[in-house]
Amino acid sequence: MVLLFAVAGCKPKPAAPDTGPAQVKFYAAHGVIRQIAADRHSATIQHEAIAGYMPAMTMEFSVKDTNELNGIAPADEITFKLAVGESEDWIEAIRFESHRIEDVTNGVVMVHETTPELKAGDLLPDCELTDENGDRIRFSDFRGRALAFTFFFTRCPLPDYCPRMCKNFAETRQLLLNMPDAPTNWQFLSISFDPDFDRPEMLAGYAKFFRDNNPYRWRFAAASTNAIARLAPQLDLMVVRDDTGISHNLRTVVLDPQGRIAHQFDGNAWSPRMLADALLSAVRGQTNSTAP
Amino acid sequence: MSQPAGSKTHNEERLFLSIALIVALVFGTGFCFLIFSLKSREKVAGNSPPQLIAPDHPRRLADFSLTDRTGRMVTQAELDHKILVVDFLFTSCSLTCPAVNRCMAQVQQLTTNQLDVRLISLTVDSRDDTPEVLAKYGARFGADTNRWLLLTGAKPALYGLIATTFLAPDLNDPFTSMPGNFSHTDRIALVDAAGNVRGYFDGLNPNTAAAVVAEINLLRK
Repeated sequence: MVLLFAVAGCKPKPAAPDTGPAQVKFYAAHGVIRQIAADRHSATIQHEAIAGYMPAMTMEFSVKDTNELNGIAPADEITFKLAVGESEDWIEAIRFESHRIEDVTNGVVMVHETTPELKAGDLLPDCELTDENGDRIRFSDFRGRALAFTFFFTRCPLPDYCPRMCKNFAETRQLLLNMPDAPTNWQFLSISFDPDFDRPEMLAGYAKFFRDNNPYRWRFAAASTNAIARLAPQLDLMVVRDDTGISHNLRTVVLDPQGRIAHQFDGNAWSPRMLADALLSAVRGQTNSTAP
Repeated sequence: MSQPAGSKTHNEERLFLSIALIVALVFGTGFCFLIFSLKSREKVAGNSPPQLIAPDHPRRLADFSLTDRTGRMVTQAELDHKILVVDFLFTSCSLTCPAVNRCMAQVQQLTTNQLDVRLISLTVDSRDDTPEVLAKYGARFGADTNRWLLLTGAKPALYGLIATTFLAPDLNDPFTSMPGNFSHTDRIALVDAAGNVRGYFDGLNPNTAAAVVAEINLLRK
């Protein structure tokens, strides 16, 4: 429990509640998200006993900062802090732990965690991101198109890493645009894992440079810490962040128009031509199940 | 606005004194700050010999079968009765891994003719870190193929070995832990000739190589 507090401590504490004197108590808690309200100002959580406060139950909690729910979905196991003031209570410091699948077989509920590494042919579980316009987007928004996505951050200083990924995307897009009679249902998406720094305006500026002022079929977005926690094990993405920067490997993924993994490019030793071919195969419904 | 002549000299004197005072303050503060920063740097780099950190519970080298950078299969059997110096990496890691591996290179150099010592690097990124990639990475640090093994393999085998023998899981923010959710991946582990994990050193401390060698000498006694 002490650890949970330590984790929660990573997030800046919100200002004292605006009503009444600032006598707010915080309780560390753990549970499973059951439902998120449409306005995202509340979430129903099936939680374990909250030590010193309440027994285990399923109830709706207020969420003050709706950004707390970025990348969080029903059936996610989370840790959070319950803040109790004199006249209000809310939850914050929501941290994704794992996604749970619950099978009900013969009346027995089997709960198991699901963060397996995905292979070609697997459906990528949907995930929420914030794009360069500040809009919340999801992978599923691009269904119907073959989607190539990769990861980067704007402060990335190594030319072989993020800038190379963006340059490759630019060249691949140009290849597809120049191809006579090529299908047009494809899309590029560059995802930053530096959400605190890569705010929408930062992404938009960076995007402008690589897209040569032409945003056609190429979106930039940032993944919240919770979204990265969800995606990393699925895509074998390695992200280590400390106060001097971010260490990461490179994962570039092609989804078919149904959202299944068609091809994965590990590292940086792939060419725009290879990515263009993978996108075209994905459009035609050919999945490379022998992908490395 | 006109002032008596005597007062003017007085004013100039006062102005001179104030300037002198400001100069003294600026330089004085700067000097103090310089001394302070030198001292604190000394504290970080020079005067703190790294301490051996004990394992969280008794840990022993588990059986394993992995592949080294030449494509050769390596099992724990060939490391019997060897003292092991072990670190953890992924080759695309740009923050801590290069520093930790420079430290490993120092240990290799300081133990050149000590045939009972082996260095082991375990990658946590098996999809990227193929034997070929590890061969390049090893060359970057001058790793001797016979003495410093860079090992890869299937992820369950790698993660299983690291979790069983070396590192506890990190329950922290996913952004701060090394893939596989291991804690303290910038530490260098020392395993004695009987296969017990003796402890860990901070792989980022510039004096760690010397401390590892000193501890190895203690182990032989």
